[in-house]
Amino acid sequence: MNVLEVKDLTVQYLTSRGRVHAVEGISWELRQAEALGIVGESGCGKTTVAMAIMGLLPSNAQVVEGKILLEGRDLLLLDAEEMRTIRWKRIAMVFQAAMNALNPVHRVGDQILEAMMAHDGELSEKEAQRRLEELCAMVGLDPRRMKDYPHQFSGGMRQRAVIAMALACNPTMLIADEPTTALDVMVADQILGQLRRLQLEMGLAILYISHDISVIARSCDRMGVMYAGQMVELGDTDEILDRPLHPYTRGLMRSYPKLRGPKTKLEPIPGEPPNLMDPPPGCRFCPRCPDKGASCPTERPPWIQAKEGHWVLCHKGEV
Amino acid sequence: MASSREIGKERSLGGRAHFLRHLGENWAIYRKNPMGMGGLGLLVLFGLMALASFIPPLLDPMYHPMSGVDPEIDTSVGPSARHLLGTDFMGRDILSQLLTGARVALLIGVSAAFMAVAIGTMVGMVAGYFGGIVDTLLMRLADIVMVLPGLLVILILSSVAGQLSIWNLVLIIALLKWAGVSRIIRSQTLSLKVRPYVEAARVAGASHTRIMFRHMLPNVLPLSFLYMTFGVTSAILIEASLSFLGFGDPSTVSWGMMLQWVWKTGHMFKAPYWLLPPGICISLITLAFYLIGRAMDEVLNPRLRKEVLEQ
Amino acid sequence: MNLRKFLLVRSGQIVVTFWIILTLLFVLFRLAPSDPLSVVADSLMSEEEIQILKAQFGLDEPLHRQYLLYLWNFIRGEFGISFHYRQPVVEILGDRLPKTALLFTTATILYALAGISLGKILAWYRGSLLDSGMSFLGLLTHTFFLPWLALLLVWVFGYKLGWFPLSGMISPEIWLDPESGFLAKFLDVLHHMALPMGVLFLTHFGGYMLVMRTTMLETLREDYILTARAKGLPEKVIRNRHAAPNASLPVVTSLGLSLAFSINGGALTETIFSWPGLGRELVASVAHGDYPLAQAAFLFIAAFVLVANLVVDVIYAYLDPRIRY
Repeated sequence: MNVLEVKDLTVQYLTSRGRVHAVEGISWELRQAEALGIVGESGCGKTTVAMAIMGLLPSNAQVVEGKILLEGRDLLLLDAEEMRTIRWKRIAMVFQAAMNALNPVHRVGDQILEAMMAHDGELSEKEAQRRLEELCAMVGLDPRRMKDYPHQFSGGMRQRAVIAMALACNPTMLIADEPTTALDVMVADQILGQLRRLQLEMGLAILYISHDISVIARSCDRMGVMYAGQMVELGDTDEILDRPLHPYTRGLMRSYPKLRGPKTKLEPIPGEPPNLMDPPPGCRFCPRCPDKGASCPTERPPWIQAKEGHWVLCHKGEV
Repeated sequence: MASSREIGKERSLGGRAHFLRHLGENWAIYRKNPMGMGGLGLLVLFGLMALASFIPPLLDPMYHPMSGVDPEIDTSVGPSARHLLGTDFMGRDILSQLLTGARVALLIGVSAAFMAVAIGTMVGMVAGYFGGIVDTLLMRLADIVMVLPGLLVILILSSVAGQLSIWNLVLIIALLKWAGVSRIIRSQTLSLKVRPYVEAARVAGASHTRIMFRHMLPNVLPLSFLYMTFGVTSAILIEASLSFLGFGDPSTVSWGMMLQWVWKTGHMFKAPYWLLPPGICISLITLAFYLIGRAMDEVLNPRLRKEVLEQ
Repeated sequence: MNLRKFLLVRSGQIVVTFWIILTLLFVLFRLAPSDPLSVVADSLMSEEEIQILKAQFGLDEPLHRQYLLYLWNFIRGEFGISFHYRQPVVEILGDRLPKTALLFTTATILYALAGISLGKILAWYRGSLLDSGMSFLGLLTHTFFLPWLALLLVWVFGYKLGWFPLSGMISPEIWLDPESGFLAKFLDVLHHMALPMGVLFLTHFGGYMLVMRTTMLETLREDYILTARAKGLPEKVIRNRHAAPNASLPVVTSLGLSLAFSINGGALTETIFSWPGLGRELVASVAHGDYPLAQAAFLFIAAFVLVANLVVDVIYAYLDPRIRY
């Protein structure tokens, strides 16, 4: 069974200026022990997806349609109390290093212990300490630093601590939201390596969310590309990177520098993403698409499986 | 290619026109703020009271707040057609005293606050702009001044200097209250110091005074203005407290003094018409300036405004 | 940067500040009255007493000698004789200090804690009737003129309802009665403390409540609150263990900054209720022209404020690990 299945998820925000169509009809799944990455520019809705899964959407957000199935159970149907028991125990989140994810007035170790105790009232102090040391070993932190406060940690150490905290309750899946933004390149690489190891050793399913395609390329088995609230392409990472089908994905590839291979000119995608308060009726990428068809501006493109395991949201999907 | 001097000049003119244009915009925003308009309304009311304070003695000498003698009344009696708020223990008209109190409060409040803010702004700008030892010394001085309880300092000063007149009091209050403003202005100056137009002016060879007055002052003024509204309340309360304790200027009537009389002459339990009006006035004027200050804070601080929209 | 070093630095600053205040006071009192003798002795004293005081304060000596003597006297606790009480000043103030400390400290702790707790709750229930109502109430009481509120409370609760005594700290009948136990005396003091504390409480809690409410609302937007929610912690825990400790920090800072203001209120309260503390003594001694007592009372109060500031700093350092480590 898939760890997580998202079906036709549509989320809108109600603001004083109108309704924002943040996420529209996306469907994907996260398999056992797999690393799936969602890549997209800021404002494409990827963080909304993560919040929807965790049940942490703000009060003015509305899930208009869709299902989020965690091992078969629809999370959207759960009430607040039930959701609270699931959070962290089954799905945990690793936040950005740039964020103030750790409370400055509590010791780092205490915050990790808190996560454990919240979901296992019967945990003895000795066991909890043992688990804490185990977690430190897993992420590469010195257990003696657990008595310190967050401001005494470096950026990389904080990120490791946040990962350790996420693993505290032995969750089924992890959401890593921009795990390496604000870290320098070498530390970022270490962190990604650590996460990859954990995925492989523990059989942990990880959902990566990033605007940085290199993160996704390094860490994910499969990837999905989001644009303007929709998923435009989904499939095997290598497959998509080598043979992108959607014009947006192709544009993304062209705008990223490659270390190897012949030097090519970087080409940004002309134009801007659409205003999500008033999205175009047809394909949302159409205004910027170099490959427009007749029906593109007016008809919503279909989500089709162009190849085995490779999906695309395009009128010209059939290869 | 414009010379750097010309660029500097353009920028400085831009600074002033910028400020005036902003004034118009800010007023439009302020107008929409119910708290601000409420506060302003109260303030206008007190202003009218202050102006009206000149009328009663002109109508009839017995209405004079301090020397008014009513041939028929020489004790404290309640409201009547003759004395709308009643009389005090000497038969003097309370309403007349109340109106004079408004005049005194506004006079002291605004003067003291203005002076305090003027001093504080200067000190803050100088400290922020020059930095180094000047900054350290000035801020240490500010720290010491801030730690002292103003009322008590004035008390000890009056023990030595004798009875303080209104203008002495205004001066002393200003000398005690500049410190808080100076810290804020200093912070603002520090952030303004690194703005491009200041750098441009410096490159163009502008003198320190010119930079401070022409370029920084217009941008610092809104903050100064804001702190002036806080300062007015502070000054009014200090005067009222002093008068209440019996150290006020005996040549005039203030609300604090009215409260002192009603207390010390043993009328506080018997004359609510005397006890209530001055206290209500002091509280309302405090409220008025608080509301104005809050509204101005929202106008000047766009972050606060934005929140109201995105609820 | 740890606690001990922090304390040392702050204590040093306080000593310097106090020394400056001491010096300014010296200048003030030597400068203003025409006859320096009138500062330490009045016409009712005997010739002997006057000579003793003259020597003690070095009034026949050059100014800089006087200054050193002045500092030395201060350290020794020698403040001269009160004109009004005809007693050594230090004895009088020694008696008054604990009484001020009692009233002021208790009141401050109460209204600060109440303000913080209420502000925390209001922020949590933002927009509700409770929020609007209490915010309005807090604002209202905050703008009341303290002496006026005191008079009103005395009128209603002391005079009309007779629930509380109108003034003083103790009822002499109870304290003079040899049979009164400790409890009776203790309750008597509390009974007398009620109205003064009520006044201080009402005029001050609103400010703290509103500040705490604002800082709570800001804190709730912080990332670590999202983390706490993501961890599946119950709402109460998030509010009390994660948000409130952080939100309290600016409130503690504002407590420190407003100490000068509260002391003013304390002095007014003591005067109105005839509470035998330093504030009332200062006001009375100024009114009587009792220079030695007035000077010393001011110094005692200044020292009290500075120490209170230090205490607040220590509390802040204790609450915020970023200062301690």
